[in-house]
Amino acid sequence: MTRSDRAFGGPREIPQSPTVAPLLETSGLSYAVDGKTILEGVSLTVRRGELLGVIGPNGAGKTTLLRLISGLLPPTAGAVRLAGRNIETMSPRQRALLATFMSQESSQPFAFTVMEILLMGRYPHRGRFEGDTVEDREAARRILAYVGLPGFEDRRFGELSGGERQLALFGKSLVQDTELIVLDEPSSSLDIRHQDRIFSMAQELARESRAVVTSVHNLDVAAQYCSRLLLLEKGRAAADGKPRDVLTPEILDRVYGIRTLVSPNAVTGSIAVTVVPARAATGGARIHLIGGAGSAVNLTRELYRLGYRLSGGIAHEHDSDEKLWKSLGVPYVSVGAFSRITDDDVRAAARAVEEADLAILCSFPVGTGNVGNLKLAGLAKRVVVLQTGTGDTPRAFFAPEGKALFDELCRRATLMSYEQLLASLPLASGIAGDGT
Amino acid sequence: MRAGNALLFVLLAVLLLAAVVFGVAFGAVRVAPLSILRLLLHEIGFSSIPLPEARDVTIILYLRLPRVLAALLVGSSLAVCGVVMQGLFRNPMASPEILGVSAGGSLGAVIAITSGLARLASLALPLLTVTGALAASAVIYLISSARGATSLLFIVIAGMAVSSLLNGVSSALLLFAKEHEVSQYFFWTMGGLEGRSWQHILYAAPLLIPVLFALSLYSRELNLFTLGEEGALALGVHVEATKRILLALAAVATGVAISVGGPIGFIGLLVPHFFRLLSGPDHRSLLPASALGGALFLVLCDLAGRAIAPPYEIRVGIITAILGSPYLLSLVIRTQRGRARAR
Repeated sequence: MTRSDRAFGGPREIPQSPTVAPLLETSGLSYAVDGKTILEGVSLTVRRGELLGVIGPNGAGKTTLLRLISGLLPPTAGAVRLAGRNIETMSPRQRALLATFMSQESSQPFAFTVMEILLMGRYPHRGRFEGDTVEDREAARRILAYVGLPGFEDRRFGELSGGERQLALFGKSLVQDTELIVLDEPSSSLDIRHQDRIFSMAQELARESRAVVTSVHNLDVAAQYCSRLLLLEKGRAAADGKPRDVLTPEILDRVYGIRTLVSPNAVTGSIAVTVVPARAATGGARIHLIGGAGSAVNLTRELYRLGYRLSGGIAHEHDSDEKLWKSLGVPYVSVGAFSRITDDDVRAAARAVEEADLAILCSFPVGTGNVGNLKLAGLAKRVVVLQTGTGDTPRAFFAPEGKALFDELCRRATLMSYEQLLASLPLASGIAGDGT
Repeated sequence: MRAGNALLFVLLAVLLLAAVVFGVAFGAVRVAPLSILRLLLHEIGFSSIPLPEARDVTIILYLRLPRVLAALLVGSSLAVCGVVMQGLFRNPMASPEILGVSAGGSLGAVIAITSGLARLASLALPLLTVTGALAASAVIYLISSARGATSLLFIVIAGMAVSSLLNGVSSALLLFAKEHEVSQYFFWTMGGLEGRSWQHILYAAPLLIPVLFALSLYSRELNLFTLGEEGALALGVHVEATKRILLALAAVATGVAISVGGPIGFIGLLVPHFFRLLSGPDHRSLLPASALGGALFLVLCDLAGRAIAPPYEIRVGIITAILGSPYLLSLVIRTQRGRARAR
């Protein structure tokens, strides 16, 4: 029986006495490049039978860790021991007989068939003058069917969909037939059916007393399939343990910088991680935006996303501010395109402004048509006057009373740049509330 | 090996043999193919078969045969070097000339010619050509091993830059050269096989044949390189060592080949690409197919150069360029279309 046949032979009993060296052991593993630390002091022990999920925000060092434990990168400090031996003392071939690494790279410039790609996995098992055997082909054919691509032998690898390529490359890793299986985001371009397939297969491989280490983006998937999770944060191990001990709101909120809700998944008995929408978080403060000529567009988007209750106006119809407010459902007051904002219009809009905790006057040119907006701003409890930033429409004054009204307004308003305003936003209720 | 590849090899061998016979027979003075057969049979022991007339023997043995063998060796070597570089850099656009290895060899040749060494010792030119090719290869190796050098276009553009630099240095050296040296170099850069003698074959064959054989031993590694260097590394390939060995061997083969025939263009680019369509991308069949195919292609191009406007000869480098440029253009266009479809 060849080693690859085990993939079909059901679980294999390997007694794990304490004297057997763990399959993978790292101590103080660090990696830095150009003085920038990517990974620092990660110590990890993975035993046969484990399915370890490596999770963490983008740039936390997940892929680097996977490369280090597969021996593809030499660590700058610390060591990786594979089956009791330092991986750096092994030849590439010895290493490839113990560990396989499936990368996210799946491009192939030449027209290899899927079978040819799978058989590349036999490379470490064969000498320079040995060809692929009939057994190799048969094993590869079975593995192809097992990963869900039966009959794909002669298809061109380059013409497969992204998901099919990932499955085929997973198959190549199985053909390589190693005890340690390292997968970098194996399901990144898979639909949920194939995602389930690949992680179920990973579970089966772990049950065969191999060990699987995989990076996972989706935390629900990580919780559902992995027997253990390692959470990386800025290159360090922030948590390591059973999924329900790692996936807690306290840990996740800190590492990912979002608010999460962890709840039991009624169907699978696993846990589900839900991101609490940031919109619901704020809510309290009400802000009125006074714009024109599209000057409020970006600010509207930012404030809307942050969950402020907004109102707008007075806008001219077909202005880009007006169009955005309309499509977002922000209440606003408007007048016809090119019409003059009259005192009646200002009175009509007054309530929205007076009820707002804060009115923000964006940077737009003031002419006779919209000088009413300056009067309107004067009615607000608190006013922030946005300074004209680079690229903004300059705040020119074409109406005689405009400049005077603006100077008057500035005396009681807070002057802020766009950046200052955004920086103060978590405290926006403070601006609105305590009267600074 | 894919079905049909055995047939392909038989076909290539037969065609190559026929091309060699034609190559020897054809020229300003025709030799009957039967004379060639008679000479061959006589030489291998059938002494009862009468030799052809002395003039034919001289033409066959001292003019045509070395020339055809030179075409065979050079074509084969340049094609195999193209296969190796395309596989190594997983880039169908790579070849000794695109990556500047040929330009390095040419610079070596200029140095040999302008310094007068080429006149003093016959092996100075090949020696310096190989040295130049090796130096250019080393530069390409260093560039390709830089971190982040993974994009397909990167290595091609880097190679073009190296190529331009080396060609610039060559031109600068020629500014100080004597007129006959300039024209000697100029004719050499066009690529040509006329007047190639046994002297060329005697140094080239013992170098090229073992190098090509050694390169063919790395077919499996070349297959794995198409997965990307990380993919090859994960499967147990000694990536850096393999790259160094293959680039050095390819540089030696390129250097020797162009010292014989000049920097004949397009073979390293076109032949591998063409045979990839016929034999499939597996280097275990692609590499020998390209070796045979490259030989066949250059023997035929040389023959064409002699047949188009006798008694004048069109240099073989001109023929390959005229055939090669349209093929390269269509290749680029198809690649672009393929990419657009993939999006």
